Amino acid sequence: MPFREINAKMVEAVVGPGQKMYSQRGAMLAYRGDVSFTPNVQGGQGGLGSMIGRRLAGEATPLMTVEGNGLVMFGHGGHHIQVINLAGDTLCVEADRLLAFDGTLQQGTLFMGSQGGVMGMVRGQMTGQGLFTTTLKGHGAVAVMAHGGVVELPITPGRPVHVDPQAYVAHHGDVTNKLSTALGLRDMVGRGSGEAFQLELSGNGAVYVQASEEKL
Amino acid sequence: MSTPVVFDPMTLPSDDNVNAYTFCVELKGSQWFLQKGKMIAYYGQIDFNGIGHGRFERLIRTSFHSPLHASDWVVAEGSGKMLLADRAFDVNSFDLEDGNLTIRAGNLLAYQPTLALKQSIVPGFLTLIGTGKFVAASNGPVVFMEPPLRVDPQALVGWADCPSPCHHYDHGYMKGVMGGLRSLTGIGGTSGEEHQFEFVGAGTVLLQSTELLMPEQATGAVPHEPGVPGGGPGGGGQHGSTPRMPGQLGDLQRRFGL
Amino acid sequence: MFRLQGSKTLAVDLTGDAVKAKNGSMVAYDGQMAFKKMSGGGEGLRGMVTRRLTGEQMVMMEVKGQGTCYFADRASEINLVSLHSDTLYVEASNLLATDGGLRTGTSFTGLRGGASGNGLFTTTVEGTGQAAIMSDGSAVVLRVTPQYPLNVDPGAYIAHQGRLQQHFQSGVNFRTIMGEGSGESFQIRFEGDGLVYVQPSERNTVGGDV
Repeated sequence: MPFREINAKMVEAVVGPGQKMYSQRGAMLAYRGDVSFTPNVQGGQGGLGSMIGRRLAGEATPLMTVEGNGLVMFGHGGHHIQVINLAGDTLCVEADRLLAFDGTLQQGTLFMGSQGGVMGMVRGQMTGQGLFTTTLKGHGAVAVMAHGGVVELPITPGRPVHVDPQAYVAHHGDVTNKLSTALGLRDMVGRGSGEAFQLELSGNGAVYVQASEEKL
Repeated sequence: MSTPVVFDPMTLPSDDNVNAYTFCVELKGSQWFLQKGKMIAYYGQIDFNGIGHGRFERLIRTSFHSPLHASDWVVAEGSGKMLLADRAFDVNSFDLEDGNLTIRAGNLLAYQPTLALKQSIVPGFLTLIGTGKFVAASNGPVVFMEPPLRVDPQALVGWADCPSPCHHYDHGYMKGVMGGLRSLTGIGGTSGEEHQFEFVGAGTVLLQSTELLMPEQATGAVPHEPGVPGGGPGGGGQHGSTPRMPGQLGDLQRRFGL
Repeated sequence: MFRLQGSKTLAVDLTGDAVKAKNGSMVAYDGQMAFKKMSGGGEGLRGMVTRRLTGEQMVMMEVKGQGTCYFADRASEINLVSLHSDTLYVEASNLLATDGGLRTGTSFTGLRGGASGNGLFTTTVEGTGQAAIMSDGSAVVLRVTPQYPLNVDPGAYIAHQGRLQQHFQSGVNFRTIMGEGSGESFQIRFEGDGLVYVQPSERNTVGGDV
């Protein structure tokens, strides 16, 4: 079901019988009708094992299932909300930035290290996010939170985009990621500091960047 | 490149928004009540005085009935234009016509003395009665909804013309099993949505788009009298405010999204 | 070339030229970029020593390259200022970026710092080109003319340009009983000809944290 953007910080969704959606716990602002909010004891779709896997992976953002018949409004922490519509492709997003998403989307985790090698592990350390990033795949809408709103930057072949890991929100498309460092940046911020690295995204797709280096 | 708009006393709006976060009040020998520290700039001759100032006795008798907030408010008087803002929150003005509106104390920035300010029976809220304009801040633009509606307490800005809300507890949560089990095992947690304010009847409910509360303004304590919500023995918390159910961690819970 | 992408992200298109920006404010770039730390505000060792003494903190970097570089800082709103052989006075914490050709320095601004907690010194940006300043919420630009002086809350002041004199006023409206201040007792009064940038927020108020 699609999200209707009421303003920059609030979205509205209509829930109907037989439909289901997931949202971050505590993100419901108001609702009308007969809607229930159930914490996901099983941690998404993957069962208990998967949940523990997520805990270890540092992707343990608690979700709840939203079901019933009515109108629900979502928002969280005064953060700006970006609605991303997926048409069969895969969205990679840090789990704690997920506000709400369509129940039909397939959830998974992406081991960033598999693409970035040893450097990918560094990435996990420096974003404080663990090595895993949540993936959502299919047809449906995702509402993502960002501090101060997001800018969508297109990624085209031959024109990779370098992103400060702290400002990275999500990306989709056929994109590979690796860590890189720009000339001089490492000397500037001091050795050992993760800030010296950027996430280099190349391929074909788009990356969402927030106007801030603050984590949520 | 967008060139910024430059304002001067002639081009500044009169009693209207300059941008989403700034409101301009024009004084022509008139008075406004405003919360301390919310004036960011002004042109002209404007005096700001604590409302304890003796000269305002008559004004306060008609328009200010909240002794607990007396130290948070000042009276601006004179002529000129002043800009009001509050921590880059959205600000908007609202007109009341022989009406009443109840608002979270921290959200109210300023109001015309033609309105009377009183403390709501719901702790932490103030009621404005009469005809006039007031300015309120909110985290994100205010969204107007009609009852029936259940609202997360933290998203509530206020309500107009409808009966005061009541507490609503989720059925599954009321059974207590889920809450108790989760608090023991730590698995699953609660959804954080077990408790809402429920509005019924005719009127308008004002929501802000976030669950991050603006820092609570000191609203003081209500008189310790039997029958006054929050004012009972034990300094309140027992009857007036939300009872803390097993498995619920209150603010902490919400903060961590458990 | 400075342009805004939304209201909180600054995009700078570079074709081999340089831009000065607040350290660590780069959020993304495409193309080739090189980053260089600048000592002090970019005015060499002497400037750095002055800065140490004056307590005006400003760590800038120089970004040079081909492509587009995006800057943002803590979700602050960004305001573009054009300078034509002009001087912009700005609180160091509110300066995001300037054209590589603009000179930055420090200037003594009087007693304002007493109430705002900011230094007595302000960063100056001089020359011809563009600068980007930050505010908490979109800034309001107010014109000051000899007939229309302006009073500003020190916590809401971010920058000014033009020929302005500023006076720190205290206690002008400080009428009180029972020790209650009016909360607006400390103000900066601007007189002369120029522009003042205020933000819809106060860094800190006299009454403490709001």
